[in-house]
Amino acid sequence: MKLSWMFGPTMEQRHLLYVYVLVWVVQGGYAAWIGWQLWRARRQERP
Amino acid sequence: MGRSRILGPLAAAWFLLTLAAIVIATRMALVDAPTDALQGNVFRIFFYHVPHSMLSLVWPYVNLAASVGFLYWRRRDPLMALNADALAIASAEVTLVYATICLATGMLWGRVEWGIWWTWDARLTSMLLLWLLYVSYMMLRKLSATGQTQTLAAVLSIFAGIDVPIVYMSIRWWRTQHPAPVFMSGDPDAGVDKSYYPAWEANIIAWAMWGLLLLGIRYALERRRQEREQDAALKAIEDSLEFTR
Repeated sequence: MKLSWMFGPTMEQRHLLYVYVLVWVVQGGYAAWIGWQLWRARRQERP
Repeated sequence: MGRSRILGPLAAAWFLLTLAAIVIATRMALVDAPTDALQGNVFRIFFYHVPHSMLSLVWPYVNLAASVGFLYWRRRDPLMALNADALAIASAEVTLVYATICLATGMLWGRVEWGIWWTWDARLTSMLLLWLLYVSYMMLRKLSATGQTQTLAAVLSIFAGIDVPIVYMSIRWWRTQHPAPVFMSGDPDAGVDKSYYPAWEANIIAWAMWGLLLLGIRYALERRRQEREQDAALKAIEDSLEFTR
């Protein structure tokens, strides 16, 4: 799977890369944040 | 067997399935879908932008249904009201995540295709309004200390629910900068080429599965917070009774 065409100096290439990275960062970041809070809450509940 | 002993492995399996679906859908968007004849490879933004935009109009209805449920049950069945309120806050946060991505990816695409980051077009403005309504919803939930916060938030979510059909219809009612509908437009010659459908369908399914996962985790988290709050209130009452004896 060659994706080298995504990494280039043109605005088209940069903005396409930004979109894919942004989606993963925002979605992954939010999931990690709530997942971590749930894990912490469950750990506090343990006797 | 406890409820969490069943739900834990189920959630883990759903997480792995969703992650696999996202990886496959992303591969289809970046590798399998053909390069657009007019826009070139930048058109591949479509496969992330459109599913997030469509789903950001679905989650507000979960929020609306949960808020209406809260308003109905708050005096009839407090436990159901708490469940509805937990779902309302979970769906509001998920809406905000999807709407933020919709606006940000749209701006990145617009800068390439239109030469501008933003314009006060009907679709963009109504979507920004929806985003602002959910930002105010979250701020209300976080900062208000009136004791009526859930009720006020439920009313606000009804306003957001009214904005959703306006966002959806904006590109049908007003022809401004944003492209016309590419799905369900009624015109067989309009819209995207059929060869893009598999990648688009894979992405909307994958990101909907992801949204459901986020909704489930955030709901579980909120229910735990509510239970802790109830326990603390109960303990305070017991302590005060002990003190007065």
